[in-house]
Amino acid sequence: MVNPTMPTDPVDPPYAGREGLIGRFAAEAWDHLWPWSRAGFQRQRAVQAAGVALGVAASVMWIVAAMGRLEAGAVIGWWFGWSVFEVIVRLGAKPYVKEGPWWGARYRAASVMDMICYVSFKNLLIGAVLFLSLKSFGLLTV
Amino acid sequence: MSSLAALRNLALALACGLLAGFAQANSYEAKLPPELTSSPRMCDYAPCADVIPGADSFSERKGQPSYVEAYKTVDGQKKLLGYVMLSTDITDIPAYSGKPVVTLIGMDTSGHFAGVKVLKHSEPILLLGIPEEALIEFNNQYLGKFVGDNIEIGRSRPEENIIGLDAITGATVTVIAQNQVMMLSGGEIAKQVGILKPTIRPQAKFIDTKSAPNWQQLVEEGSVKRLIVSAEEVGLPHRDKPYIDMWFGYLNQPTVGRAILGDGPYNSLMSRLKEGDHALFMIRTDGVESFKGSGFVRGGIYDRVQVRQERDAFTFRDTDYYNLYGIAAPGAPAFNESAIFIVRSKAFSAAYPWKLVFLANKMDKATGAKTFANFDTEYWLPAAYMEGGRPTVVKPDPVWLKIWKDRIVSIVAFTALLVAIAVVYASRDTLVRRSTRKNKWPVNAFKYAGWVVSIGFVGFGLLAQPSITQVLTWFHSLLFQWKWELFLSDPFIFIFWIFIIVTVFLWGRGLFCGWACPFGSLSELLYKVGGWVGLKRFQFKVPKPLHDKLKWIKYGIFFGLLAVSMFSMGLAEKLAEVEPFKTTFLVGLFNRSWPYTLFAAGLLGLSIFTERPFCKYLCPLGAGLAMPSTFRWFGLKRKQECDTCKACAVGCGSSAIDKDGRIDQRECLLCLDCMVYYYEDHACPPLAQERKRRTKAGLPLTPIGANGYYIPIKPMPAAK
Repeated sequence: MVNPTMPTDPVDPPYAGREGLIGRFAAEAWDHLWPWSRAGFQRQRAVQAAGVALGVAASVMWIVAAMGRLEAGAVIGWWFGWSVFEVIVRLGAKPYVKEGPWWGARYRAASVMDMICYVSFKNLLIGAVLFLSLKSFGLLTV
Repeated sequence: MSSLAALRNLALALACGLLAGFAQANSYEAKLPPELTSSPRMCDYAPCADVIPGADSFSERKGQPSYVEAYKTVDGQKKLLGYVMLSTDITDIPAYSGKPVVTLIGMDTSGHFAGVKVLKHSEPILLLGIPEEALIEFNNQYLGKFVGDNIEIGRSRPEENIIGLDAITGATVTVIAQNQVMMLSGGEIAKQVGILKPTIRPQAKFIDTKSAPNWQQLVEEGSVKRLIVSAEEVGLPHRDKPYIDMWFGYLNQPTVGRAILGDGPYNSLMSRLKEGDHALFMIRTDGVESFKGSGFVRGGIYDRVQVRQERDAFTFRDTDYYNLYGIAAPGAPAFNESAIFIVRSKAFSAAYPWKLVFLANKMDKATGAKTFANFDTEYWLPAAYMEGGRPTVVKPDPVWLKIWKDRIVSIVAFTALLVAIAVVYASRDTLVRRSTRKNKWPVNAFKYAGWVVSIGFVGFGLLAQPSITQVLTWFHSLLFQWKWELFLSDPFIFIFWIFIIVTVFLWGRGLFCGWACPFGSLSELLYKVGGWVGLKRFQFKVPKPLHDKLKWIKYGIFFGLLAVSMFSMGLAEKLAEVEPFKTTFLVGLFNRSWPYTLFAAGLLGLSIFTERPFCKYLCPLGAGLAMPSTFRWFGLKRKQECDTCKACAVGCGSSAIDKDGRIDQRECLLCLDCMVYYYEDHACPPLAQERKRRTKAGLPLTPIGANGYYIPIKPMPAAK
């Protein structure tokens, strides 16, 4: 039976029901920053492995940028490329998004568009923080 | 002719019309010769004769900032007619685009503006929205006006001695910046050539505290200041060394002067100064650039540094330079360039704040063109070193604050409108409970009133139509140069975006798109009016399967514009014409070339027959707001029975309810029709069923709870 109170079917992430504010906060933070999962690897090994490789490359890109050796255009290009891949990785590994208030704990299955919205919004915020930090330290050329 | 050929011809005609529209903007991002900013013979590369009518020859660049003299040959003799200046030689005040409007300005010998010509601008609104002639007409208002007058945008106020200029509707920021450029440029040159007399300021009376502060103390108290310019700030690649890192301070003050120079050199320096002379020291402690300049020649002007005090600028010649051999204050940093410069003017006063300005050429990475840029640090002698302390200085309001003050009534009214819309929506439970399927006025009265005010007051009155171009501008500002002043300069758009951001996260994009967007309101109001005037039989709803395909177009447009803007903001601005907002509100349907009018009128015409076609399928702003709406906090209510019931879905104007009764929050425009059903026991099938059951059984109809069901009847235990 379909549950029409949610845009998609409700699902529980592995950490659902975790007690304690700090534990839940840490689990959610990890969920935002780490797109892979054991189940995802079992389902799509090649995609997830490529995702790890690209994720490492994206991290290296930020480090190189922090050393003042990358221009803004390259950083944006890398971040965009990684974001596209993260959508694919997450759809295989963590195919859910939060529903309703961000402080709540309701999750639902993510459609492709849900995942695009989630990853683009999340990475826009992460990218903006890193980008502005590097810029404010004068490490990024624009 | 086949329909395909007709379609092709229509497309060709549209393309030609659009190109004709683009062709009007002939100085938008115009390619200017590099010699224009560097050659001594500026008028060989600029139409100087256009701004000084009658002039037939021009001098080389002279002065600091530079200008040229314009002559007319009379009986074989050159007669000085006036002066020509290039605005970017004098100031780099940016307009709305963040780049300066490069303007050639002519001024006659009596200080009256004789001609103005825009050589290059980057204003998107003047590219497609407002014809460039509007800027020319605006500039023509300066002709004949005296450079020393108080000229401001807005109405004239003779009692305050202010001459008003008519703004360009929809380009307020551009003309405010242009006014600053005109008055600053004209004023600078008028002062140089003696038309305007410098302001005479009361001189400071110093207190000799007999103390001997060290370098650290001098820095902490503000007697010594630092000016750093990074390589990135002048458009160069990042490097470890700054472009320049220099320190400076005022030497006439005996405590400071003795601390910096030592007693002997200070006394010697003071003995060489005349009345009204002021000595400043400068040292460079790091950096790749010289503040004296490598091209300095004897008899010339130091063109890298100058002092500014309000609107007065003071430059240094070779005769204003003394050697500085060392700093006496303990703890002073090592330096590799030093100087003592003398300001020789009674207009300068150490009692008031002043700025040391470092002048540089900034490389535009996109075009490789060099533009003038200046970097400054303010200096104000500490109060403890002056008799009576620092005088009171009233600094003029920044431009954005002036705009806010001038439009305070409209700003308050606009803010009240947005707050009212949010409060009404927050009270939706009460309103929808008072409504019925056949009488939705408790909701619609507010919504329709909101639409009318949004169209008339917000759209046509305040021209506050949010647009995807603002999103692109913000995105680019975030990446390249964030300037709060730029966004604050349009208070209505600024406030509107606060409303949009807050409400998108609270309730989704529907509150803005469905209740407050001027174009969306106009579009849906036309649909409603069409129904009321008898066109209902012609009105149609796009079939849901087709709608579900077409709705993705707007996301494609949004991502397309975002991608294009990464490579060319100008092209993205052109393509953003997919929004008919400029045509409808900013410029007017009948003030643009016909393809734009046809496009906007076509969309509005189509809106009479189908609900919000632009909002549903084309609006890139709607798409951009729909994406974060995925994570709105508070959605609309549903019941389990909605999975099989189609009552709401059939009536959903946004086609946002799917076959399972789920609401697509990205598409929902929060019309609240489904919420009226939710609480109505004659409309919502599960409620109607329960109502009938209870009525038949003679049971009371209890109030309907927040979950959309009758509050259950709980039998009380029988009294013993």
